[in-house]
Amino acid sequence: MSDREALSSDDLSLPKATVQKIVSEIIPPDLVFSRETRDALIECCVEFIGLISTQSNDIAEGEAKKTIASEHVIKALQELGFADYIEPIREVIQEHKETQKGRERKVGKFEASGMTEEELLRKQEELFGLARSKLNQEGGASA
Amino acid sequence: MDESDEYVPPTSNQLQQPLPIIKTRFPVARIKKIMQADDDIGKVAQATPLVVAKALELFMISLVQESCNQARMRNAKRVSPAHLKQAVLSTEQFDFLAETVGKYPDAVAVSGNKPEPGTGPGRGRRRKVVD
Repeated sequence: MSDREALSSDDLSLPKATVQKIVSEIIPPDLVFSRETRDALIECCVEFIGLISTQSNDIAEGEAKKTIASEHVIKALQELGFADYIEPIREVIQEHKETQKGRERKVGKFEASGMTEEELLRKQEELFGLARSKLNQEGGASA
Repeated sequence: MDESDEYVPPTSNQLQQPLPIIKTRFPVARIKKIMQADDDIGKVAQATPLVVAKALELFMISLVQESCNQARMRNAKRVSPAHLKQAVLSTEQFDFLAETVGKYPDAVAVSGNKPEPGTGPGRGRRRKVVD
């Protein structure tokens, strides 16, 4: 794929196969989307992305922000009459935050322990040994 | 010299519930590229292309469903660009697409409905008929 070449906004489009798959997940089984219609749909999708991007960008600039954030997109959707999209999008943002948090926490634990992997493994074996002996003692007592 | 609109768009299209659950994902990197193909667009936060992808999915659901409605209204089994065009023209939310779909043929009129806005040769939505 010639992703490295400079692409003008005319060349850049959505992959046809992906769009076709999504269409078939939406339409009822008795209807068929013609190839032309799928291509027309792709054009509309690209227009939509442009519309949202431009509006979000204006909003970000209005807030003197250099980076377009999710909140800017949400405001753009509101302004453009797509308020009914906002709730599902908030869920996506929430999921994304939790995925990010999960990643950070994993790193944090490992770093915070201050031990190497071998040391941690040894520690784990120790704890297992302790637990095993505790079990044996309790088992003995209840018999 | 009647300046009134030739058609009244119905209220903005609400997403038909329940929403279909789409398993296929848009390529998020591609969406980011499309966004940034516009020179005015600078940096985007990490979550932003994800959010736009979701908006795009909802948009597609809405447009595809309405196109299907237009096909059904005409007893068609194949959803054609004309149906998609009609879906755009009859949905206020999709006004921004009016120019994009202009090149596609108009759909046939549906009996029993309001007359198709702007159908027929040489009549566009914005042109006024001069008597």
